[in-house]
Amino acid sequence: MTETKKEEITKYIVISSDKVLPSDAAMKIYESEFPVTVKETCFGLIVSGARDDVETLVEQIRQLDKNHIFVKDRGFPPGDERRCRASRGGGPRPGFHFLREEVEMLPAIGAALDELEAKECMTEKRKAKCRLKTSDLEKVIEEELAR
Amino acid sequence: MSFLAKVFIYPINSLILADLVERFGHKPLTMMSQIREKVTSLSLDSPPINITPEDPKLGLKYAAIEVPAGVRGRMSLIGPLIEQAESAIIVENPPTDFGCVGCNRTNELTKYLIRSKGVPVLEVKYPESDEEARDFVNKIVAFLESLPKEKSEEDEKAKEKEPAEKEGKK
Amino acid sequence: MSGEDSGLVKIALVSCGSEYAGVQPEFEEAAAKVNAKFIYPEIDVASIDTIGRDFGLEVASGDLRLMMARAKAVVEGTTNADGVFITTCFRCAEGAIVRNEVRRYIHEHSNIPVISYSFTESTSAGTLLTRLEALTTIVRRKHLLTREVQTGLTAGIDSGSTTTKAVVMRNNKIIGKGWVPTTKVLESAEEAYSQALKEAGVSKEEIQALGTTGYGRFLIGNSLKAQLIQEEITVNSKGAVYLANKQKGSATVIDIGGMDNKAISVQDGIPGMFTMGGICAGASGRFFEMISKRLGVDITELGALAVKGMHENVSMNSYCIVFGTQSLVNSLAKGATPEDVAAAACYSVVEQIYEQQLQEVDVKEPLILVGGSSLIAGVPKALEDLLKIKVLVPENSHLIGAVGAALLASGFVEE
Repeated sequence: MTETKKEEITKYIVISSDKVLPSDAAMKIYESEFPVTVKETCFGLIVSGARDDVETLVEQIRQLDKNHIFVKDRGFPPGDERRCRASRGGGPRPGFHFLREEVEMLPAIGAALDELEAKECMTEKRKAKCRLKTSDLEKVIEEELAR
Repeated sequence: MSFLAKVFIYPINSLILADLVERFGHKPLTMMSQIREKVTSLSLDSPPINITPEDPKLGLKYAAIEVPAGVRGRMSLIGPLIEQAESAIIVENPPTDFGCVGCNRTNELTKYLIRSKGVPVLEVKYPESDEEARDFVNKIVAFLESLPKEKSEEDEKAKEKEPAEKEGKK
Repeated sequence: MSGEDSGLVKIALVSCGSEYAGVQPEFEEAAAKVNAKFIYPEIDVASIDTIGRDFGLEVASGDLRLMMARAKAVVEGTTNADGVFITTCFRCAEGAIVRNEVRRYIHEHSNIPVISYSFTESTSAGTLLTRLEALTTIVRRKHLLTREVQTGLTAGIDSGSTTTKAVVMRNNKIIGKGWVPTTKVLESAEEAYSQALKEAGVSKEEIQALGTTGYGRFLIGNSLKAQLIQEEITVNSKGAVYLANKQKGSATVIDIGGMDNKAISVQDGIPGMFTMGGICAGASGRFFEMISKRLGVDITELGALAVKGMHENVSMNSYCIVFGTQSLVNSLAKGATPEDVAAAACYSVVEQIYEQQLQEVDVKEPLILVGGSSLIAGVPKALEDLLKIKVLVPENSHLIGAVGAALLASGFVEE
């Protein structure tokens, strides 16, 4: 398993959240003690480093707003010359267009996940009391205060 | 992280599919990981994605010699994923299809091979509205939850080792 | 290549499949050799949804739609490109349709030079080099290519795979010629050059500028310190329209060489679209050599023989130089006349050029046939029969490369 630990991976964190800004998430990563590289992009962050570190960190970031932060693997390390727009001579890499389309769909996907979670919460509630998430509690408080 | 089932996704580079599969505890089989293996291999230098003239030859396993080199080159990356797949999610009419999914002949072959493999396959349409997005997510989540969950970690390890050894032999 | 016009040329790469076929590095290598760089035109992603309709060509593959969008970006000037290289996978029908139409579209809507090519995983940088060299020459040396009159005392050497040709020209006239079989590249060039100099009655030192072309152009050019070292697409286009006196307007040049053949569409003496065959020698002078040998005639007699024969009397079921020769020999055994066999050989070569080269080139009159094989009278006749248009074979059509090189080299006399 030592080999996997050394393995460098890169993940794309796409943030489609009203609560978490890419810069907040980046800050959170900078504050952590994991030796990873972070690059902010128009959609979120690219995090690169040892597999275990990246996976742990990405999960932490996701939990900041779990239904509105999405993650996928990225084949190329950030700024790789072979895929870099600058050195390639204009035009984004082909995968960029699809990602852009998918990003537009993320608010709807996030809402669907919220709904699904709420439904599950309700069914679980019937069986046992559901513990309110801090983020949800925050929402309730805000709504109450806004009245 | 221990995963339950290996899920082939189409489009093979989809953020939404890869995320949903992983979110619900399974392992998405993606193009990104294949590309990573290629581009981080230090022994090769064939930019941009380190595909060499050898790769279309490896693709002969999935498509005959009269099939264009671009199809076979792509299949050399996608084919091994199909072989590992224990289930699959196919999204019809994805909005754009460039790069690794830019060739429709490859896409047709990919979908055919995964459908004919005999593993559970979910086919859904790419959502175009909030309503459809809800339906899309619900279907995918229900499918992912229906996949076998009883796999022990030892099983997983043994299975993971196998393809690694095979690759070593190539 | 001389220093002043060797600046970086930006070639828009409009392609499908090249990254996945393992040939991209070969493309890059060939481009680097001619000091060119590939660029990838920026496109508006929203245009992709409608590009099929805009273009009038609806295809299933996303990368092919991307090709159309990129071509549009080049034509509309949103991407600044000096030339365009259009390429798709060999054997892909959808790709071939888009490749042809995109090429035609750029050609009709802009003055940007375009070349197109279909690749396999075995396509090498070497194969692409001549094509990219021609493309970058059109970009860099437009001023040189507009030259219509040879001035001063210049010479040209065309080092072909089968024969080496040389000419010496003075004030727009050929005054010396040399034509020898290619054995050793340098030695054959020296020999042909000496022949031409001797006939012209001048010494090597008196020559004001020398141009070299053909397979051995670099070796000979460097050894003889040529002012111009140029690939054969550019040189032969120029030579053909010059010899045929069709320098203005459009023309089509077909060059059947010793080992390969080329079809070039020319506008005002500048090559536009062109194709090069070279996978099989079945459509080249080599095939005629083999047939002559089997018929027991000299290659110079083959043409006259062919004109008397009927190609329909011989069935040929292969373009391959080996199998094709075999079926001709078999038909002789079955009683076909040598005339018919010679005619069938000519028809076979022409048919193969028609099927494999002319499909990608707009054939516009006049059609100028050049290269050693154009001297075989049966060849222009077969081509006329097939295309139903008049074929022009200018005088000295076999010296096309050497004449073109001498003509272009004279641009260096004044400089």
